[in-house]
Amino acid sequence: MTAHFYWNGEPVPFRPGETIAAALLGAGIVHLGRGRIFCGIGACQGCLVAMTGAAAVEACLTPARNGLRLSPLAEEQADHD
Amino acid sequence: MTDGPVLVVGGGPAGASAAASLAEAGLPVLLVEQRDALGGAIHRQPAPGHAHHIRLPARHRRNWAALTARLSTTAGRIEIRTRTIFLGVDGQGRFLFDDRAAERVFACRPRAAIIAVGAVETIRPFPGWERPGVMTAGGAQVLLKETGRPPQGPILVAGSGPLLLAVAAQLAEAGNPPVAVLERGRPWRAPGALAQLGLSGGLVGEGLGYLARLAASRVPYRTGAEVTRAEPQGDRLKVVIRTGSAEDVVQVRHLLVHDGIAPNRTGIPLPAPDAAVPVLLAGDGREALGADAAILDGRRAAMQLLARFGRAETTTPAEERGLSRARAVQTALAQALHAEAAPPPPETLICRCEGRSYAELAALPEDASAREIRLMGRFGLGACQGRFCGPMIAALRGRPMPAAAPPRWPLRPVSLAALARLTTDETE
Ligand SMILES: Cc1cc2nc3c(=O)[nH]c(=O)nc-3n(C[C@H](O)[C@H](O)[C@H](O)COP(=O)(O)OP(=O)(O)OC[C@H]3O[C@@H](n4cnc5c(N)ncnc54)[C@H](O)[C@@H]3O)c2cc1C
Ligand code: FES
Repeated sequence: MTAHFYWNGEPVPFRPGETIAAALLGAGIVHLGRGRIFCGIGACQGCLVAMTGAAAVEACLTPARNGLRLSPLAEEQADHD
Repeated sequence: MTDGPVLVVGGGPAGASAAASLAEAGLPVLLVEQRDALGGAIHRQPAPGHAHHIRLPARHRRNWAALTARLSTTAGRIEIRTRTIFLGVDGQGRFLFDDRAAERVFACRPRAAIIAVGAVETIRPFPGWERPGVMTAGGAQVLLKETGRPPQGPILVAGSGPLLLAVAAQLAEAGNPPVAVLERGRPWRAPGALAQLGLSGGLVGEGLGYLARLAASRVPYRTGAEVTRAEPQGDRLKVVIRTGSAEDVVQVRHLLVHDGIAPNRTGIPLPAPDAAVPVLLAGDGREALGADAAILDGRRAAMQLLARFGRAETTTPAEERGLSRARAVQTALAQALHAEAAPPPPETLICRCEGRSYAELAALPEDASAREIRLMGRFGLGACQGRFCGPMIAALRGRPMPAAAPPRWPLRPVSLAALARLTTDETE
């Protein structure tokens, strides 16, 4: 099976070296809860995603890794200043 | 002053040029880049194993090959840390970094710093710009360079500037030409400015090449046309386009917007002449003049530091001349594409992070200070720290929005656990 991570529990395939954002868009996923991929360079923070067992990361900066479990930010995280 | 390395933040053309110039003069350098590879906005490298689908103009490829060769010649003096984010300077003057691979925050006190963090794209807001499916054109281009795969489904490219043409041509090359490119300006009505651009080097030739590529894929390039609204319709976006007094509607999957670039300054420590650790800005993060100028500007910043350390002449006349030429090109370009800004409809979102609208901005007193805009208006307080709404507010109010002082850090959300592990003994 190709490398994949999980978005809301659903497997999303990626090619090694791709960012999480590239893989999500490649799979046709544009709604990241309240967030979305916008600037592609780590500036807008719209693409922050929650990662089980670690801090939230920008999907557009973070290389995808096999088995990662990702989901949209919880409301209070998205609101966090 | 310490004998530590000179810190260079940002591995784009400006940072690479600064780091190489310092190392060639014998100084140790710490080069920090948030991505997993150097290259910056223009030379985003394809993921390993992906074909290089997106070919930049030959001049840019040569320039980057020359920079990487200089970096490898001086590799012994340059420590390169990728996947490491510069977070800012704390109250004690420590430079803080988030090492994403090791999930740890570390601090250092460099001898001096050159900050070359590039530009962010500016956009003119319209109702719906905040919707999923709307991306910046440059951001989409960065993803395209990384994967070689264009976004699927119909794409509309809109806004202003040469980057629209480049992105549209690259999408066509990659197999999904956009349905149209909308340029807000009317360059054909400014022949004087166009002629000046024609005299000033490769830009017009590059633009004509992109236009030819678009014509071959039958992509219309419509000038004097702009997006006035976008709203979700099923898994599509319904986009309203205005050309003069005519309106039409297209359904697309992706709307790519871009109205130029501006220095990425938020949270960046600005140079104070008497600072214990001198900090200089370089590249598009100092003045948005494009990739060729960024290389010159990185070198200029390095020479300024070397002069400060008594190791070089301050003046860099060749660099200064190149930067003036780039400035003239930008001015002519702005004239050629100038389009009067009309205030957006009241419901237009300005601050996406906090959900603040243009009506709420317009309700603030005419002479509100930056602090009042933040505290009374609650603009620029969200996760992006005003990187997007700051330039919009400045454009809408017709005056710059001064930066928050002192710069706030961290620049990015950082894990509290990683921050808590940062103790003085982790100071490197
Ligand atoms: C999205 C985008 C796409 C562009 N595409 C093109 C193009 O195709 N052709 C063209 O001619 N021009 C393009 N430009 C213009 C571009 O800014 C310049 O041409 C050139 O890349 C500027 O070089 P630079 O070194 O100043 O900045 P950049 O190339 O932007 O390099 C800055 C580097 O700093 C890093 N960085 C930012 N913040 C941090 C931080 N806090 N910590 C660590 N690292 C950080 C970034 O990841 C980046 O690698 C683009 C600009 C943008 C914003
Ligand atoms: S898309 Fe803007 S930070 Fe990732």
